[in-house]
Amino acid sequence: MRNKEVACLERKLTGMTDEALFEFLHMEIVSHVYKEQQASNGGMDNKDRAVCVSVLEGMGFRVGQGLIERLTRDSPSFKDELDIMKFICKDFWTKVFRRQIDNLRTNHQGTYVLQDNKFALLTQLSNGKQYLDHAPKYLAFSCGMVRGALSNIGLDSVVTAEVSVMPSCKFQVVIQKL
Amino acid sequence: MTVHNLYIFDRNGNCLFYNEWNRKKQAGISKDEEFKLMYGMLFSIRSFVSKMSPLDMKEGFLSFQTSKYRLHYYETPSGLKFVLNTDLSVSNARDTLQHIYSNLYVEHIVKNPVCVLGHGLDSELFSSRLDAFIRALPYYSPRAA
Repeated sequence: MRNKEVACLERKLTGMTDEALFEFLHMEIVSHVYKEQQASNGGMDNKDRAVCVSVLEGMGFRVGQGLIERLTRDSPSFKDELDIMKFICKDFWTKVFRRQIDNLRTNHQGTYVLQDNKFALLTQLSNGKQYLDHAPKYLAFSCGMVRGALSNIGLDSVVTAEVSVMPSCKFQVVIQKL
Repeated sequence: MTVHNLYIFDRNGNCLFYNEWNRKKQAGISKDEEFKLMYGMLFSIRSFVSKMSPLDMKEGFLSFQTSKYRLHYYETPSGLKFVLNTDLSVSNARDTLQHIYSNLYVEHIVKNPVCVLGHGLDSELFSSRLDAFIRALPYYSPRAA
């Protein structure tokens, strides 16, 4: 069942037919994962929340892997790590979220911070601090997507997201050196 | 020229949202009772209007007016009811209500994963956008007519 959802998502994202379709599906996936976890464990403590986040992240990972294959079909190979990150910030973000990353910062040692001031999955949630504790749920999938995309380009990474004032959020990518 | 208040009901009669901008006189009953009264009245008047209509009806009940205010009504295909009270200078608020539904309600409530449809709408984003929209209406002014 999970694989079918993932394949369906992939098709929607590259076709870019209707943004609302993906947004609604994403909302329902998040809600479904949390409901399932709650039902099977009879409650929702921090461990359950972590499980839900990792399930969502895993789904995003697989979607990101597939997406990057289709998006880089016709592009030349990347020069270096920074080039790859710029691709993620511009082309990848535009294809998936219909806008570019507003700010990319790096310490030139494998850590990158991508800031999106109007993150597409958070804009309808709130315009400030309301529902802040719900925000991480809706970022997990996207973190997975970035990690999956990077993984298929050849970069192992750890991707986390933080948000303090919606709809602006920061994704932190730490490239793992082998 | 002014807008007095706005109610939003769902198809089961629960009042999802209420806000007032320029209300000089309260109803004298609790808010819950007021919402029930408003919904009950709307329900009765809609069925009355459709029964007694001498011609085939298209949209049915649209608004009523008194010597001091006019009540505008808009119902969506999904059963949501928007009720807006304005003063008499506003003859047709249907477009306004339609805009509130499609650009504010759908965008900020339906697309908000945390807002459960059917419960009260407590998204601040929705309230602030709605407030800004009402205040920007050409027929709104803080002083009542």
